[in-house]
Amino acid sequence: MAETRDVIIIGGGHNGLVTAFYLAKAGFKPLVLERRSQIGGAAITEEFSPGFRCSTLSHSAGPLLPEILRDMQLARHGLKLITPEVGVTALSPDGRALVLYNDVLRTVQEIGKFSAKDAIGYTAFQQSLEKIGRVINDALKLAPPNIDDPSRGDLWAMLQTGRGLRKLGKRDMYRLLRWGPMAVADLVAEFFETELLRATVAARGIFGTAMGPWSAGSSLVLLIRAAGDPHPAGSSHFAIGGIGAITQAMAAAAKEAGAEIRTDAEVKEVRVKDGVATGLVLANGEEITAKAVISNADPRRTLLKLVDPTHLTPDFVMKLQNYRMPGTVAKVNLALSGLPKFKALNGDDAALRGRIHIGPEIDYLERAFDESKYGNFSPHPYLEVTFPSLTDPSLAPSGKHVMSIYMQYAPFKLKNSDWESQRGNLGETVVKTLAEYAPNLPSLIEDGQIITPQDLEDTYGLTGGHIFHGELALDQFFTMRPLLDWARYHTPIKNLYSCGSGTHPGAGLTGGSGTNAAREILKQLQH
Amino acid sequence: MASHSNGSKPKYDVIVIGGGHNGLTNAAYLARAGKKVLVLERRHVLGGAAVTEEVFPGFKFSVCSYVVSLLRPEIIRDLDLPRHGLEILPLDGTFTPMPNGDYLWRVNDHGKSRREIARHSKVDAEAYEEFGKAMQAMCRFVKPILSMVPPDPSTLNPRELMKMLFIGKRFQGMSSEDKYNQVQLMTLSAIDFLDQWFETDVLKATMSASGIIGTFLGVRSPGTAYVLLHHYMGEIDGAFRSWGFSRGGTGAISNAIADAAREVGAEIRTEAPIARIIVKNNRAQGVVLQNGDEIYGDVISSSVDPRLTFIKFIEENQLPREFLEDVRRYKFRGSSGKVNIALDALPDFKCLPGPGAHLRGAISISPSVEYMERAYDDAKYGNFSRRPYIDMVIPSLTDPSVAPPGKHVMSCFVQYAPYKLRPGLNWDDQREAFGNTVIDTISEYAPNFKSIILNKQVLTPLDLEREFGLSEGNIFQGELSLEQLFFLRPVPGYAQFRTPIKNLYMCGSATHPGGGIMGAPGRLAALEILKDVKGAS
Repeated sequence: MAETRDVIIIGGGHNGLVTAFYLAKAGFKPLVLERRSQIGGAAITEEFSPGFRCSTLSHSAGPLLPEILRDMQLARHGLKLITPEVGVTALSPDGRALVLYNDVLRTVQEIGKFSAKDAIGYTAFQQSLEKIGRVINDALKLAPPNIDDPSRGDLWAMLQTGRGLRKLGKRDMYRLLRWGPMAVADLVAEFFETELLRATVAARGIFGTAMGPWSAGSSLVLLIRAAGDPHPAGSSHFAIGGIGAITQAMAAAAKEAGAEIRTDAEVKEVRVKDGVATGLVLANGEEITAKAVISNADPRRTLLKLVDPTHLTPDFVMKLQNYRMPGTVAKVNLALSGLPKFKALNGDDAALRGRIHIGPEIDYLERAFDESKYGNFSPHPYLEVTFPSLTDPSLAPSGKHVMSIYMQYAPFKLKNSDWESQRGNLGETVVKTLAEYAPNLPSLIEDGQIITPQDLEDTYGLTGGHIFHGELALDQFFTMRPLLDWARYHTPIKNLYSCGSGTHPGAGLTGGSGTNAAREILKQLQH
Repeated sequence: MASHSNGSKPKYDVIVIGGGHNGLTNAAYLARAGKKVLVLERRHVLGGAAVTEEVFPGFKFSVCSYVVSLLRPEIIRDLDLPRHGLEILPLDGTFTPMPNGDYLWRVNDHGKSRREIARHSKVDAEAYEEFGKAMQAMCRFVKPILSMVPPDPSTLNPRELMKMLFIGKRFQGMSSEDKYNQVQLMTLSAIDFLDQWFETDVLKATMSASGIIGTFLGVRSPGTAYVLLHHYMGEIDGAFRSWGFSRGGTGAISNAIADAAREVGAEIRTEAPIARIIVKNNRAQGVVLQNGDEIYGDVISSSVDPRLTFIKFIEENQLPREFLEDVRRYKFRGSSGKVNIALDALPDFKCLPGPGAHLRGAISISPSVEYMERAYDDAKYGNFSRRPYIDMVIPSLTDPSVAPPGKHVMSCFVQYAPYKLRPGLNWDDQREAFGNTVIDTISEYAPNFKSIILNKQVLTPLDLEREFGLSEGNIFQGELSLEQLFFLRPVPGYAQFRTPIKNLYMCGSATHPGGGIMGAPGRLAALEILKDVKGAS
């Protein structure tokens, strides 16, 4: 006899947990099924070498939406978020460092050492981002309207956003319209002349995407990120216990609210009868029926793998196959016997407490991207580095450290090779690049973990190795995420919903998708 | 008619700066409405970038723009251009030679093209049909937008809101399928878009080329898919999607428009370069020629680009600071050059030897997607492409009047040639090498090429700027990127042909809907000017 549930959530990533929490709060008894033995999806902390624990994938939060922190009472569930003074430290190969702080005044002073003009530009940019960010933030919190037949609620929400847009004033409104489709390289050039600063801010528009700074539309990515955090280069948001502590606290909150969470529970198939989802089958053969199934997995995995595509129209299948999710990042985690010495920092370890940006020029970033277009990983990659053990020393044995490195660009599809045979080369390229900035790094490495785009798909379930469940671009944003007509957290299969990053707004570790999805799905379920 | 002015009374209703096809169209529409119009052209010949010149004795070239498709049918009709000598000859097909000895040859005859594509991929032959239909549906959505004055989204003026509603309604009215395509077309790269339809690399490469012509973008750059549509938007004799030559070169188009304008009383002067626009009390009153002559007019309509209009011809303190900032930020970034070649005989392509119909259409050096993208990569870092994309035509095969008997003219559009070369290089030194790169590239496909060259004219982006007044050599008077289109073209808040200075208007390709021999900016600007003038009187 199959077990029966009211709501099942496939995948225990941060969005799945957020959705589970809100549904439980509303009186449902959601069951969360996580394939791996640990919940958290891409927001996890794992021991990758004896005694060394690291934020395996995501190493800095989005930041989380304030309402999630409040509603889920994550602090009470043990979450200690840390926002270091230092947002980003950018290193240049000539031995200079540019440190961007959360404190704007301090940052402006720092930038002033490079260029007085840029110090002024930074304030102007920050102020504009703050204003524009508020309007975007409103849009991010909306469920995308139904274009063909907008409901009264849709119209009201759109009107509100429209009013917000007008309140911006002519100049900032035109900025928003003009910036969205622009190349981020052009955007930063409007405000800054220092190449290192340009590249550091521009990086926010390309992180995790298959775009270079000269790609049109990369500014949109920056704007979406700035909606939750108007610092031009972004702040850093860490947690005691690594990023996994966030999802652990979320799981505790969801359970307390009444959700059940099962790990090692891989879903094999969503059962569909006459176009209606009726439940699912686990890999171990177990069947569970449910009134509603919500998937935190990416749209392609959900609808093309877990659902038998014969339940979908060929047209829908084709469009979903064309949904763009070409992964471009790899991750390297290192176990170190000590903290490396960066040439540019003269022992100022405080500067290592935020995110460290390596990619000193726009052209450097663009060249790194160029290689990926032809199916090669960048020989001189763009790197984003953190030291989780500086936030929480307990992650490494006493005196030792863990170093977390996002490497870009590593295209999911290699031209004349496969990732298994390139794994070593990838690790070497990353270490070699870092050694140019911290020459003693290689001698400190005790162990390491190399996560290729293939691993992202195979181990962590990110189709195509895409960490955001699909490119963030004008054609896959808002009413088009993941597809036009299917942006409202529902799918062509009745009672099957989506709540992952492949739905609006879908940007990073904020919980935005999970929150919006829960609200919309509740409307349907309580109907 | 003398036009020396003592500086007291306005002599003309409208003075049009620049005798390119848009300036002339603007003048013709204004003159038709009974206005007394003067057109001032800097060069000795009319047409701007739509010009025919006898570069070498007996060889007449469409020096810059070389094919026509987008010329608005209402302009042809209103100005009765055929009667003034306009004759469009068909340009049939695109021939793409490949390095492996094969080729792709698409012609206007759909059945033939299908069979040809089927030779490369049966699936693509099927898709080609569907693709054409989808594109035409898209064209039906976009076309009315080309003929409308862009709305101003920052105002609550009901007229502007109606325009936005109109676009919204049209969008809403499309089928779900068409909506999906439309969104993708506006946002995707040409290759991402084509990847969804086709598998044949050379087909995608050569089709994507139309997405990058004249822009500083690659075939993989988001936003380039939209320009694919332009290829399907051409209307000649009512047939969608045809491209053609103008008999006598593209200059004949300009001359026909000029004729139409003169017939209704417009005065046109060549070799009349202007030095500045006279602005008093924030009101344009006339122009000063480089020879010192002052000419007065009630309205000044400038068909040259915003950099010339506002930075060169007007003093800084006459314009609001924010507007000037926007003008300075307006992106030109010329990316192409032109090589015009006088030929002793026809080129002989390895993959399809001998003369034949394949030489009568466009010949495209765009053998693979990677080839196209690498050409762009070179340009990003300030080099001209080592192996450029080249679009060639031999108009003398269709219109023998442009070359001596038995000889030919060949026009090669070349991309990428970035206006800003990397530090240490300049175009005057690189011109020769650039020309040679083009000839070497063509020779790889047509080995007899070097031996049949009688003469060549190499135009770098710098030459386009110097000779034709196209800032930074941009053939469209500014990048056709999303942030510079529609209500953002040329700058936010001034997309309706008006400027911060009263009585000063813009009517060139830097205004909506942009470049190409379309004439739409000239016409739309004229209609707006007439509205204002009527309202004032």
